[in-house]
Amino acid sequence: MAEAGKQHRVLVVEDEDNIAIALDYLITREGYAHDRVSSGAEAMARIRATHPDLVLLDVMLPGVSGYEICQDVRMDPGLADVKILMMTARGSAMERRKGLALGADGFIAKPFELKELRAEVRRLLGSGTA
Amino acid sequence: MERWSLRLRVFLLFAALAAASWGALGAGLWAGYHRLGDPAVLPAFVQAGLLAGFAILGLTAGIWYLFDENVARAIERLAGGMRARAHAAVAGEIDPAPARYLGDLAPAAAAVTLTLAETRNALAEAVARETTRLQAEKDRLEALLSDVPVGVLLCTGDHQLVFYNGQAVDLLGGGAAPGLDRRLFDYLRQAPVAHAHARLLEAGDPDAASDLLVATVAGARVLAGRMRLLDQGRDGPGYVLTLRDVTADLAAHAERGALLAEVFDRVRRPAANLQTVIGVLAEDAGAGPALTGAMLEEVGSLASAITELGARYDDSRSDWWPLAFTRASDLVDGIRARVEAAGLEVVADPAPILLRCDGFEIVALVSALAERVAAAGLARSFALEIAEDGAGAMVRLGWQGPALPLGQLDGWLADPLEVGLADVTGRSVLLTHATECWPDRDAQGQAGICLPIREARRAHRRPPPVTRAVVYDFDLLSKARNAGVLDARLEDLTYVVFDTETTGLLPAQGDEIVQIAAVRIVNGRRVEKEVFDTLVNPGRSIPAGSTEVHGITGAMVADAPRIEEVGRLFHKFAEGAVLVAHNAPFDMEFLRRHEPGIGASFDNPILDTVLLSAVVFGQGETHSLDALTHRLGITIPEEARHTAIGDTVATADAFLRLLPMLRGKGMVTFGDVLAEVRKHGRLLKDLNG
Repeated sequence: MAEAGKQHRVLVVEDEDNIAIALDYLITREGYAHDRVSSGAEAMARIRATHPDLVLLDVMLPGVSGYEICQDVRMDPGLADVKILMMTARGSAMERRKGLALGADGFIAKPFELKELRAEVRRLLGSGTA
Repeated sequence: MERWSLRLRVFLLFAALAAASWGALGAGLWAGYHRLGDPAVLPAFVQAGLLAGFAILGLTAGIWYLFDENVARAIERLAGGMRARAHAAVAGEIDPAPARYLGDLAPAAAAVTLTLAETRNALAEAVARETTRLQAEKDRLEALLSDVPVGVLLCTGDHQLVFYNGQAVDLLGGGAAPGLDRRLFDYLRQAPVAHAHARLLEAGDPDAASDLLVATVAGARVLAGRMRLLDQGRDGPGYVLTLRDVTADLAAHAERGALLAEVFDRVRRPAANLQTVIGVLAEDAGAGPALTGAMLEEVGSLASAITELGARYDDSRSDWWPLAFTRASDLVDGIRARVEAAGLEVVADPAPILLRCDGFEIVALVSALAERVAAAGLARSFALEIAEDGAGAMVRLGWQGPALPLGQLDGWLADPLEVGLADVTGRSVLLTHATECWPDRDAQGQAGICLPIREARRAHRRPPPVTRAVVYDFDLLSKARNAGVLDARLEDLTYVVFDTETTGLLPAQGDEIVQIAAVRIVNGRRVEKEVFDTLVNPGRSIPAGSTEVHGITGAMVADAPRIEEVGRLFHKFAEGAVLVAHNAPFDMEFLRRHEPGIGASFDNPILDTVLLSAVVFGQGETHSLDALTHRLGITIPEEARHTAIGDTVATADAFLRLLPMLRGKGMVTFGDVLAEVRKHGRLLKDLNG
């Protein structure tokens, strides 16, 4: 990273606690700052408040869907530099297209290999800090 | 004497009267002369006798003439007039003038014939009315049966085809097209059909139906059928068979079943292994390092199985739903009609493509979305675009104005579409089409809704509408069947009348067939829709002189199949039929030279219309096709003359008119005709061995 020492901040929007715990470990170990919300309704407010570098966004959320959050982020010019990586358990080609069309920067289908997630996160955050 | 004409008898009567008068006169004079006994008065007696004799002759002749003219001939004319009106349906009143001295006879005859004419007209009108009504009913039924989306067949008790519609042709096709009075088992496998038939016969319930699954003989298709018995027929009751192609359904079912089985198979094993490994770990944390590798391996295979199977499911999802290709412009028309009916504007730009979708549902979805967008106050005029998009198409409804929040769109998609079905929502339409739908903003900043369709193809010219004819002859249901051709009655045989056009007249010197046409005659009728008409590539040049006769050029036959292939199809077409041709030895020689290449021999019985013409009209006549058809009152349209099909139809029609004439001459069976034809062997050689 050009700005050495600056720690990237990653927000996980995920309602399932088990995978959220695992992602927490992973992100911390990669050297990023970690934060989590567990419902779609809270997500927008948190993103606006903390302006994370990357949002790991699950599609299936109670209340507001991941797609909606994605569209809302993209419609807010102030959040243009927030990267979005969407995750879904129903990874059909059409859903991938929909996610990318709504402005997601990456799309990853569950189940995924850790390697795959790690590579995608690094790609979106530039060369990474680890 | 009874057979003498009235006039002759009247004449004889008067002649007898004159003779008798002469006799009486002679006898009277003779008696008077003897009484006088004076030879001197003889000349006076003779003179008086001659005078009286001539007077008697003149009087009888005169009265005879009046009687003949006014009674005998008048009666004959009156009778002739009445007969003409009785038998030949001559119209117009009888002329009463010649019979004016016959009292009331002429007016009475006129009254009788007038009443006859009136009755006849009334009857003819009633018959015409009834015929028109029946014809209209028949046409409606034909239209109905030709358009039902299933194949419909009628068969006799011994499985011969009596009726089929266009869909049945498609289903049974692949090789030879079906034909009337052919065996059903030439097209379908015998066992399931025969079994269902036997089952229905045993059940003895006239309303029972039997469902069956049967493959085509070629094995390319599996058909689901339903059989119902008819209540007539000589060889046991015939039946109606409706057929539906389930090949694709069965394949999809099989594929789906196989996928499901594979899902269980590939998920169950790693799930079971994981449960064991994790169970051990939970009880004994010390086993961790040893079991971690095992756990990772199992979870890896579980994840990759789910990913791979999920992708396969995704790919085949839309295959399971039977969706037809719909023209983009047709979708646009439907959407435009509904959107404009709601008082909104739409400008459309459909690409020339066909989309695989349920047109009705897509139209309902897009127009409902447009109405919702308008109701939400985002826009009142829209741009509808349907464009090619990878292997599929993109339907985009755009507008100038604010973008649509996804949450709002998702809400609309959950509502029922107004298509009359409560459980058809936007979401269910998307599910049917295995697709998604989202709002976007294009490069020009125009807001819109995107609806991708997974499969599309470029549109070509609309195919010409398929003629969905029905072909039938219900008299076949009650037709008696004879074992041998020789004993078969002429009208019971099936005939294939054919004609060939060739490069020249000398097959031995390399002339070849360039066109074969044939029609079938079943049950004494030419079957309008069963026609064989094919060009043949002769494998050599066509001399200009021959082209002048039949109009076929080398370029026209360049892409045509060779005689070996056409011969095979023709052999199939003519199977089980008597071959009929005008000057058959000529056409047969061209065909028989190629029997080895065709792989079949034309051993059908053969009739030659040249010989039949000789049998009927005598050898002295001319027997060319033109002369024969002219004699029989058949006209060949000028443009059809010397085309294989034109000459074939003319020959067939001539043959059909010759049949009753042969019967009139006492030839009832094929054997009778053959025996008679052989007497004319000098004219042409008979080809039946």
